[in-house]
Amino acid sequence: MTELSRRSLLKALGWATGGIIVFGGAGGARAFPTFPYRGAPTPEDAAVWLSLRPGGEIEVFSPRAEFGQGIAVALRQIVSEETGVGLEFVRCRLPGTGMIRPARATVGSDSIKDFGPLLAQAAAALAAAMRARAATLIGVPAESLTPSGDGFKAASGATVTLSRLAKGKPLIIDEQAVATAEPHSLRPGRAHTVVGQAQPTDDIDAIVTATRPIYADDIRLPDMVHGAAIRPELVGGRIEAADDTACRAVPGYLGLHRDGDFIAVLAERRGALRPALAALEVTTRGDGKVDDATIAAALDVDAALAGGALEHVLESDDMDPAADYDVDLTLDVPMAGHVPMEPRTAVARFRDDGKLEIWTGTQDAFFARAVVADELHLDEDDVVVHGLRTGGAFGGKTLCTVELEAARLARAAGRPVKVQWSRRDEFAGNFQRQPSRHRIRARLAPDGGIDAWWHAFRAGHVIFTSAALGPILQFATSFVPDMGSKRGALPPYRARRKRIEFEDVRLPVPTGPWRGLGAGPNSWAIETAIDALARQANRDPLAFRVGAIAADQPRLAAVLRQVATLSNWSDRRPDAGRGYGVACGVYKGMSYAAVVAEVAMADGDAPRVSGLWCAHDCGLVINPDQVRAQIEGNLVWGLGMALHERLEVRDGRIQADSHADYPLPRFSDVPAIDIALIGQEHVSSGAGETAIVAASAAITNAISALTGTTITRLPYRG
Amino acid sequence: MDFSLNGRRVASPPAMDDDPLLYVLRDHFGLNGPKFGCGVGACGACTVHVDGAAQRACQLTPRDVKGRTVVTLEGLGSGRPDGLHPVQRAWIDASVPQCGYCQNGQIMTAAALLAADPGAGPAAAAAAMDEVVCRCGTQARIRQALSKAQAVIRDGS
Repeated sequence: MTELSRRSLLKALGWATGGIIVFGGAGGARAFPTFPYRGAPTPEDAAVWLSLRPGGEIEVFSPRAEFGQGIAVALRQIVSEETGVGLEFVRCRLPGTGMIRPARATVGSDSIKDFGPLLAQAAAALAAAMRARAATLIGVPAESLTPSGDGFKAASGATVTLSRLAKGKPLIIDEQAVATAEPHSLRPGRAHTVVGQAQPTDDIDAIVTATRPIYADDIRLPDMVHGAAIRPELVGGRIEAADDTACRAVPGYLGLHRDGDFIAVLAERRGALRPALAALEVTTRGDGKVDDATIAAALDVDAALAGGALEHVLESDDMDPAADYDVDLTLDVPMAGHVPMEPRTAVARFRDDGKLEIWTGTQDAFFARAVVADELHLDEDDVVVHGLRTGGAFGGKTLCTVELEAARLARAAGRPVKVQWSRRDEFAGNFQRQPSRHRIRARLAPDGGIDAWWHAFRAGHVIFTSAALGPILQFATSFVPDMGSKRGALPPYRARRKRIEFEDVRLPVPTGPWRGLGAGPNSWAIETAIDALARQANRDPLAFRVGAIAADQPRLAAVLRQVATLSNWSDRRPDAGRGYGVACGVYKGMSYAAVVAEVAMADGDAPRVSGLWCAHDCGLVINPDQVRAQIEGNLVWGLGMALHERLEVRDGRIQADSHADYPLPRFSDVPAIDIALIGQEHVSSGAGETAIVAASAAITNAISALTGTTITRLPYRG
Repeated sequence: MDFSLNGRRVASPPAMDDDPLLYVLRDHFGLNGPKFGCGVGACGACTVHVDGAAQRACQLTPRDVKGRTVVTLEGLGSGRPDGLHPVQRAWIDASVPQCGYCQNGQIMTAAALLAADPGAGPAAAAAAMDEVVCRCGTQARIRQALSKAQAVIRDGS
């Protein structure tokens, strides 16, 4: 299919245009993916993000959700820097659909890059309006006023406080003022005071003392009851019948609600849900045949290559399968779970006026509103979704799930309902990170560079996830390369000839967005093969990379050199069971990371990561403390990918009920982490997923440096 | 059931005697500190102190705490300067939380560890803290904060 006809197809499906479409699909596939629609934010959107409140505070109506990435405090810092109003007088409210115009999902590390500059413009417009009002109030020229943190000060010494400014008519900023504003707060190279300052995440006081409600489970409404949906135990299974006769003996049990494929129990108390579910007689259908082998067979890239070129060709040089290659690897990345610590939770209530209110932790409040309105046949204006602080999301809270369950039950019960997923629901009821299988063949050039690079892979779908698409749409989108599966597949290295081809595969287990999408797995495969090439050439792996990096990637070379200094790389030699590995990568063409890992491995013991260093360039940093936290998080995720995480399927069943069945890095698995932030002379890009492109391969490469054997399968378990 | 909750004598309703203590604390007493994370004692997000020891509230019922002393995150800093236990202070100073959802378990576990063993070495710290899952990747900062809190507690300030 040509690019043009693909676009037409998407347009026909409503994807290329603005607005939200929701399909009432078959087989439980109702919610629609969140990535490709809704345009970039506009000055018209931004005009409502900021206001001066009567109390003398600036309020930011955040268009971005907060799930631990520290965006709320970063937005406050931008506004504070731009207006000269002290950070303590700027507060942030998380997105509610009743507050702002529709904003797209909080995904892809794009909040600062795509929303920061517009917010700065809106703040500049508000600052100008405040200054003009201050000038009028004390009768001096606006230019003679300087911001004093809590208001303005005139050359004469006269002051105007924020609360005085906030009196009277509301200060309105309009689209025009936002569009023409010329903000300075995000301009690299300028001296900043609040931008660039280390600040903890918003709500840290409430997190540490629990004195304020901040998560969806902290919402309790009068007369509220509790619900739990019943899900088939097997992948692709279906519930045929449910008999709740025995449930009626459970004190507090209210009843069974069934609406098509949606079946749920309701109880007065949360404590009654588990005994009710245990007493429920459920007849399910499902063949129980799906397992890891089924999935591996679907990902068999060699079988696919035997049939010729793969479906999507990203770099198209011809390659000879019969030629000799210095490196020829088949690499496997398994499925993985998101495992946010907060199981998704929603509270829904119908008000007396018929409007529906939902409190939830989600990456996409507007999408939740659209789905719920469509499913319940409500006008979108009659549904309000209040977005709360979310206890981890990682791409897994992009679809509408628990919100719809709570809404349906609230309607059925005629009372407010809270639904909180069980841990089993989180593992088995959500989509997973796509597994992939890679074949990489590469040849060294006589000058020590790369002569040929041939990367072919098959991976599960990410954006066109079957968790979200009905069968008809699955067929339609099967012609379009999944931009999530292919993310990070283009290597940042020079090669005389390149061939990169892939196929996105619809797997029996729903797969979808997981921190960094394809970038984590694809970069791991690339950086593993690059390391193998360096070993083959008998070259230092860091120097080999610096020499091979494409000329148009100077910032990548810079983070590599920086991490060499930071980790004292040139003095690091494998000895006494200690190995060192390096990896690097570019995320979404905007941010750069290089990681060095030290791994200690005593004879016969499991490897232990004993040191991690990361040099990171995401341009101008608003809040170094929170950017460092994101990098630390990505390094721990890389550690999990390298040594721990694998979601297994056996006899048709996802083999994880709790954290006990799905090992994650624990306290003593994580070493001290040393980070350098560079590249501040560039405009801000994104930090939420960047370091995941380098973390896992640095660790597996360190193990390979010790053992001399390339690791071709994640996680490494000796 | 009668027990002490954050320094007050309370009685939980008989209808909840067999419910997980976690739900009693959250839904009856309106507390937000202990969190539901897994419901099977595998993640630690619901940790509370029972007679000073870190326990999983999802694995207890009100019957288990009858006549005993339960402290949640809300009550941890009670009577301290600024209302903050040294562990809470250290968590803020080291800017530990990302999403924040597991931090109740981290803080309550660390506080119980340091109360029982102010000189806890790395092995004891690992044994306690390895049992509390964090998905965001705050472990390195937890280690820093734990050391800071330990220094404060040992110095008696």
